[in-house]
Amino acid sequence: MAAADSPSTALRRRDLCSRGIRLAGKMRADVVDLLDAYVEQQGLDASASVAAVEGVPLAAVEHWDEQTGTQRLLENLAAYRAFRALLAQMLEEQREQLGEADAGLGRALAAVLLQVSAFAYHLEELLRLESRGIPGEEGDGQPPLPRLSLFEQKLRGLGVLRELAQWAVRSVRDLRQLTKPSLATSAAPALAESP
Amino acid sequence: DSHIQYERVGADVTMKCGSMDWDAAVTWTANGTDIDESRLNGSYLILKNVDLSQSGQYSCYEGSSWHLKYQTYLRVGTPPKEPVLMCRSNNYPKGFYCSWHLPTPTYIPNSFNISVIHGTKDMVCEKDAVPKNRCHIRYLQLFSTVKYKVTLTVTNALGKNFTTLTFDEFAIVKPDPPESVVAKPVPNNPRRLEVSWQNPSSWPDPESFPLKFFLRYRPLILDQWQHVELSDGTSHTITDAYAGKEYIIQVAAKDNDIGTWSDWSVAVHATPWTEEPKHLTTEAQITETTSASTSSFMAPPTTKICDKGAVVGSGAVAVCWTAGLVVAAYSVLFI
Repeated sequence: MAAADSPSTALRRRDLCSRGIRLAGKMRADVVDLLDAYVEQQGLDASASVAAVEGVPLAAVEHWDEQTGTQRLLENLAAYRAFRALLAQMLEEQREQLGEADAGLGRALAAVLLQVSAFAYHLEELLRLESRGIPGEEGDGQPPLPRLSLFEQKLRGLGVLRELAQWAVRSVRDLRQLTKPSLATSAAPALAESP
Repeated sequence: DSHIQYERVGADVTMKCGSMDWDAAVTWTANGTDIDESRLNGSYLILKNVDLSQSGQYSCYEGSSWHLKYQTYLRVGTPPKEPVLMCRSNNYPKGFYCSWHLPTPTYIPNSFNISVIHGTKDMVCEKDAVPKNRCHIRYLQLFSTVKYKVTLTVTNALGKNFTTLTFDEFAIVKPDPPESVVAKPVPNNPRRLEVSWQNPSSWPDPESFPLKFFLRYRPLILDQWQHVELSDGTSHTITDAYAGKEYIIQVAAKDNDIGTWSDWSVAVHATPWTEEPKHLTTEAQITETTSASTSSFMAPPTTKICDKGAVVGSGAVAVCWTAGLVVAAYSVLFI
């Protein structure tokens, strides 16, 4: 696959990755700020452990260093599409709960949602560059997210933002892997073992 | 028979002479020295409020036959206080290590047991041969929001204690300081110093996990540091150094995205380039003054009096000036 890259493809990939890295970095900073505001506004304990909630994509991954470039892009895309839906629901719940009482938090949520959408689009562009088909969105076929109690909504929101913050870091790392010249989307590098 | 007996500092200790009756005639020794009878209650040895100096070998001999009837090694010590535990990842994303120590010595042998739990999963922390009180773990997962819980239990013959640390993957990332820091003057630039360094060798993959750096510098004569944060590259040119002043420079590193700053690197010293005063180095002047004398002194025309290159130690500038003064003194003599 590496040999098939034209110089313009390689350049475009590098450009998309660089911009993606900057976008993910900004997104992470905004999510961290949003997380602080959310915890305070919802009256939650910042150190509370939140069990994995159904539908929230976990950033945790085993054998990360062995993933191919395509795997990275596909997993990232699936995650950010899921976050797009989750954040949209959080925004709706926020408006229902508080109306305009905390417009600041609502605006911050909307801003992050926009960045998530932009990043998802970025990932689609990278996948197109790899001549990979973009997986169809499962939104229509997926069951609606369960209606939760108010407290459960708050906890889920905490879980969503925490995982999104982790994903943003992971995405930066994933895109850096993609920019390595020795890597193509199908090559699987292994980190050198230290003595 | 001989065995080891552990007792707390301050305890009262009663030693029996094996199976000898209370009223048997015996002699006790401590490290080969007879113990005064006043310390005995019958054949029992009574040690009150023991201290560390009373650790040693205690032996009991039958009165008339001097047969050894009992021997014990008394070790006076304390139960362990809460241990101090630290965990850190200086080789992210490979894994992390934990190290520990006791805040005060117990004076008797201790054993340590460490357990690491990630969510519901038990992980094995492999003990390092050197240093002893340290173990390391490989990350099985990356980017997890689930916290790690590390519990260290220390046990000795007099008691046990433990401590627990809970942290997430990102929080403990702290690289080692940058290595091979070098600072050089820039020729013909009296206010510049060129600083370069290398990534710490323990950081396994700086290409995928780049480090950013923090440089601090000050002239030795001032207390206030100047700081520069650098998001890439392993070199920097200081452009606002005070002319002729010796500087101290250090660098720290941090993962670009997560964790905390390393400790400061080893400090290096450097002084910006300074122009040589003309009357000390003009070749024509040296030639003119020496040709009028019968002395054979002649400064080699192309040899510099001192070399201003590379890392300039604090003594190097003084050596340059001293050499210059010597030349000036000779020049004056020969006029």
